[in-house]
Amino acid sequence: MPKDHKRINGPEETVPYNLFTKLNTKTLLTKFEEAVCNGKRTDLRVPEEHRKIFLKSGIVSQAKGSAYIELGKTKVIVSVFDPREIPNRTDYSLKGEIYCEFKFAPFSCVKRRQHQQDTEEKQYSAIMKQALESTVCRHEFPNFQVDIYALVLHNDGSVLSAAITAAGVALSHAGVPMYDAITSVTLGIQDGIRLLDPNCEEQTLCEIPISSKQESSHGVIIVSMLDTHEQISQFYQYGCISVEDLSASVDVLKQACKNIVPVVQKCLVKHVLRTLNEDVED
Amino acid sequence: MSLCEAEKTFVLHGVEENFRVDGREREDYRPMELETDIVSHAFGSARLRLANTDVLVAVKIEVDAPFPERPYEGKLDFFVDCSANATPDFEGRGGEELAVQISNALSSAYRSPNVFDLRKLCILKGKKCWKLYVDILLLECGGNLFDAVSLAVKAALWNTQVPLVKQVDIDGNNINLDVSDSLSDCQRMDVEKAPIMVTVCKIGERCVVDPNAAEEKCSVGSVVVAVAGRKISTVLQTGTGSLHPVTLLECLTLGVKIAQRLDTALWDTLRQIKPNQDVGFLK
Amino acid sequence: MPQKIYIRLASHRVNTSVAVNQRHPKIFTPGEVITTQNEFMRGHGTYEENGELKSSVAGVREQVNNLISVRPLKSRYNGEVGDVVVGRITEVQQKRWKVETNSRLDSVLPLSAVNLPGGELRRRSAEDEHMMRQFLQEGDLISAEVQSVHSDGSLSLHTRSLKYGKLAQGVLVKVFPSLIRRSKTHFHNLPIGASVILGNNGFIWICPTINNTDESVGGFIQNLEQVVPKQERETIARIRNCILALMQSKMLLYDTSILYAYEESLKYSVPELLVPEAMVDTAVLTQQRLCMIENE
Repeated sequence: MPKDHKRINGPEETVPYNLFTKLNTKTLLTKFEEAVCNGKRTDLRVPEEHRKIFLKSGIVSQAKGSAYIELGKTKVIVSVFDPREIPNRTDYSLKGEIYCEFKFAPFSCVKRRQHQQDTEEKQYSAIMKQALESTVCRHEFPNFQVDIYALVLHNDGSVLSAAITAAGVALSHAGVPMYDAITSVTLGIQDGIRLLDPNCEEQTLCEIPISSKQESSHGVIIVSMLDTHEQISQFYQYGCISVEDLSASVDVLKQACKNIVPVVQKCLVKHVLRTLNEDVED
Repeated sequence: MSLCEAEKTFVLHGVEENFRVDGREREDYRPMELETDIVSHAFGSARLRLANTDVLVAVKIEVDAPFPERPYEGKLDFFVDCSANATPDFEGRGGEELAVQISNALSSAYRSPNVFDLRKLCILKGKKCWKLYVDILLLECGGNLFDAVSLAVKAALWNTQVPLVKQVDIDGNNINLDVSDSLSDCQRMDVEKAPIMVTVCKIGERCVVDPNAAEEKCSVGSVVVAVAGRKISTVLQTGTGSLHPVTLLECLTLGVKIAQRLDTALWDTLRQIKPNQDVGFLK
Repeated sequence: MPQKIYIRLASHRVNTSVAVNQRHPKIFTPGEVITTQNEFMRGHGTYEENGELKSSVAGVREQVNNLISVRPLKSRYNGEVGDVVVGRITEVQQKRWKVETNSRLDSVLPLSAVNLPGGELRRRSAEDEHMMRQFLQEGDLISAEVQSVHSDGSLSLHTRSLKYGKLAQGVLVKVFPSLIRRSKTHFHNLPIGASVILGNNGFIWICPTINNTDESVGGFIQNLEQVVPKQERETIARIRNCILALMQSKMLLYDTSILYAYEESLKYSVPELLVPEAMVDTAVLTQQRLCMIENE
């Protein structure tokens, strides 16, 4: 990690204190059983239930478009800036470009994050770009670049999905032409149980296999969909999942993405009405 | 390199008819060439040539302290270098985006313990473990990089010899490792379930595997599936297009089928390798 | 029918060199003295030092009357006036197009050197300049002839004949320029049902048979709707694989050699021709047939 000379750094060999607490000595199996007991999760949701979403646009006044999303305790802000000329580009191109930057705030996760983008954040930026590229009408701004910045204030699972949904709202708020509203959902699988929209604890539990059975799957799937066109614009999965489990999960995810669309639409309509009312009052 | 509309139409119609530009069917691969153990300084190495794509992988091992929250596991680190040898576009930082994409794909694919068990790399719980640095060098780019890289990485890991630790002395805070001196005294890694990536490209209405550079330009969207055993270890969507859910599942099933075929072919070849058969770049 | 996936070991690599009956010519390396007599003119690949003519590249010596040049195996294409080339448009500029022809510098195709669609002969107006992109875009393939060579080595092309123009559906194969033999015509309508354009710059274009009666508009209109039938597709793919086999064994490419290679390759199916053994086999058999013809 490149050393940050502008801030006062802590000593190099630091570890979070949680490693030494009693909670850390529980086995994975116990933790999982506590997470999902009697068909209910820790926050009393059924396994295939999404958390309540709070979406607001127009949060950042300096940006052309912006949105703030809360998914349970996960909080993400996304801002979009005007199309500007692509620096260092001389060849002719019929399509515009999208530049995405995804960043965790240093205090957002359990373990303090570095101030510079690490590989995980770079990977998430690439996935976000993949998702938004098929949504935006790129032929409307050839040779220009739209900048999208996502900042996570609190990470409680499903961060990438929250960022993508909020980015869709921010792009509409900025007036960038789009083909469809984009919604994104995360799903965690562990030993035959599907946890829709997992929180941070559940997401880490799904990354490691718990059962030693040959056929059990575990992993995390993140999908972004364009609902009216029924197209998947981005699909990312990690873990170890069998094909049958994967196809069943895709169906669940499709339905979940569809269910979020009214929330996104309501937010956008509210914003338009608000702007209209302000004009009327002026 | 860009293609004109007429060439793209020709490729598209060929894919529809199941007869591609070079006569292959949609599910055929081009002939490949593999050799292992070519870099003498590395603990394991492999080189794979798939038509115009040339990939060299070397594995180096060092002793390191494990992560505090995962005291039983070793570490695995991927680094991809797009050499300027491949194309002048890769000069300086030109190839960085591609390199990051490939190394992220590999890290995602090898993440699950079912696929590659990092616990076998532990020497002393919480204090010492082996760290594997897998360095991948792209010597030539002729399309279908993910497949070539994943096959070469699997062969290199198969070829890797981890030194055997005979004794561990703990003296207060000092830990002395006694590593066996002889070269043949080593443990090989279990790469039975190491993932193989298959790129499935959507051209027109059909799915195609092993696209060459021209076919890659004609495709709208493609899916990279990493398959380990019969399960899917990672899925990445690349390219700028979107896919219908049904098409996506078709691509995934096709990818799993092809990956199993690739895996059998790779193991057949690896079993044929006898020691001291150096060929390298000289022949 | 799923084909087998071939992963071979490098130690089993096939030797692609084909035996040649002729005497090996003398090969010059950079810095080697070719001759000390001064009555010769210097050509490409040579330089003069202290009254001696030395080679600057690694290659074979060629002599035409008084002109000595050294020709390397693999080099960029050096254009001569009258050569037929196949090129790809890289840029659309003010009154000309930049064409990539595998030479050191991009070649130039001026607007005044193309046939306007409709075949009219008129002055190029300002409107034509704006419509340039409609005629030829970035990425389009054209066949053209070299009109002149500038002092820096860049070529000026023209398509002022009905047989040149934008290329329609087909396959492009890139080989070394030195493997293309110079002949009277570079447009061949092979009797097996495909046409081949052997560009001197190493770009070979294979397409379904061109009917000479159709093309009366200067070759700028393309029919993208037409689907090439499977039979012709197979022929084109086979020719492509044969050309790659001949290139790997470094054999000269001209219509006869391609035809013989095609006939020798008929015993393999088209995808099997990608396997190195099949490629070498085809090349060796073609070489034998060519030698027999020469000896007669």
